[in-house]
Amino acid sequence: MPLETDRKIPRFDFGERAAHWMAAISFLYAALTGLALWSHKLYWLAFVFGGGATVRGWHPWGGVVFALALGVMFSRWARQMRLDADDRTWLRLSHRYMVHDESGLPEAGRFNAGQKMLFWMQSALALLLFASGLVLWWPEIMPRALRLLAIVVHPAAALGAIGGIIVHIYMGTAAVPEAFRGMMQGWVRPGWALSHHPRWFKEISRH
Amino acid sequence: MQTVAKLIDTTLCIGCKACELACQEWNDQEFTLGVFQGTYQTMPDLAHNFWNLIKFNERETAGGMSWLMTKYQCMHCADPGCLRACPAPGAIVQLRNGIVDFNHDHCIGCGYCITGCPFDVPRLSPATKKVYKCSLCSDRTAVGLSPACIKTCPTNCLTFGARDELLRKAESRAEQLRADGHAQAGVYNPQGVGGTNVLYVLKDATEPEAHGLPKDPTIPLSVALWKGPLKWLGTLTLVGGILGTFFHYVRFGPRTYEGQEK
Ligand code: HEM
Ligand code: SF4
Repeated sequence: MPLETDRKIPRFDFGERAAHWMAAISFLYAALTGLALWSHKLYWLAFVFGGGATVRGWHPWGGVVFALALGVMFSRWARQMRLDADDRTWLRLSHRYMVHDESGLPEAGRFNAGQKMLFWMQSALALLLFASGLVLWWPEIMPRALRLLAIVVHPAAALGAIGGIIVHIYMGTAAVPEAFRGMMQGWVRPGWALSHHPRWFKEISRH
Repeated sequence: MQTVAKLIDTTLCIGCKACELACQEWNDQEFTLGVFQGTYQTMPDLAHNFWNLIKFNERETAGGMSWLMTKYQCMHCADPGCLRACPAPGAIVQLRNGIVDFNHDHCIGCGYCITGCPFDVPRLSPATKKVYKCSLCSDRTAVGLSPACIKTCPTNCLTFGARDELLRKAESRAEQLRADGHAQAGVYNPQGVGGTNVLYVLKDATEPEAHGLPKDPTIPLSVALWKGPLKWLGTLTLVGGILGTFFHYVRFGPRTYEGQEK
């Protein structure tokens, strides 16, 4: 059966897209303002966002919005992100995926194993960021031992998350053409779906 | 420029609290009424508008009770944990004479210095959302005056001057005390923070905790990790991530599929 290449395959509904972009915008804000406070060399970023005191006041709220948005994403996607046996094989051979040699890679479902790992990694790091962020938010009322822990956990988790998101943004824009439209407008072409997420495409084509 | 210091000879403190008042007056602080704590101490703790506290540490002795009166304020460390932790360039400065000063025009109120300080000194003001502490009267010392607390001390318990000289003076005073039978007398000048520009003579230097002074204060481990290895790891993550993805594209390009739109 030839693919009807002009068809629009729904990939993400509005709720998923809204949550994703709320998370993305708030994350970028929190990341850039956070980096300003992480290194004197990046303190110029604080001026871009209204000055040091403004950044200190609003950065935590960026984190709160991010946590809420990620919470929505988590409740929508956690079930679909479970890793199965195929995913483990995929991860073992992921170096092939990186060089566009997909021999031996199991067919991906709605999300491939790399995407699932990003999801779990970001969720875990977000939890650490949120807990340590609360401690740093009100130093006056927090026990010293907690503050000492939070002051290193928060930037460590943040840098891990930012590293992950750099790769994720690259994947979502330059590396995988047309994925961006899927997250923006909500649909993809059949050829894209069949090539990137064959198992998912076959499942939804059956109905 | 010469490093300056304040010497506190705890054996000479009579607990008159004149230095507390002089500090409040010179720095134009409003006094916040507290609740009576059942001690002779003015306040239970330092506050954003109370930078200098005489602690009336009570101690049981054979004959009854004694006070180990200890002046408590910023130590003006040679390696200040507050400065290491501060994210805002210029908000905490170490002057060439060794004074560690807070510049409130640049302070952003994050409170990291509170966590970085091994002596638990800086305090956040709920009103201004900025952090305050003793400046060793940098505004007075800059024009050749001694700090307000020193100026007012009636017993010479407090002296101010060149650090080298005061350190020598402290050592000889400790020796005098040892000769007088206080075998444990010594100078408090903790090396974990590179030494401090506030020096103490203690009757028992083996047990500074009795005075409310930490025994071996150091830059907290997590602060050292955060400002040390994590800086490098983080830089590697950021630069590696950006360059890595960029050159992945240059080498391998996008992942395409058959029939992809132009
Ligand atoms: C401007 C930055 C971002 C861009 C351009 C972007 C782009 C995308 C795109 C195109 C997809 C769909 C992938 C597909 O169709 O399979 C996606 C999915 C997703 N995004 Fe983002 N995103 C960004 C930021 C974020 C942030 C900050 C998070 C926070 C955790 C995040 C988490 C996710 C997750 C968990 C998924 C589903 C799994 C995956 O595709 O990896 N994204 N993103
Ligand atoms: S005592 Fe605390 S506030 Fe004073 S210089 Fe040392 S670290 Fe900074």
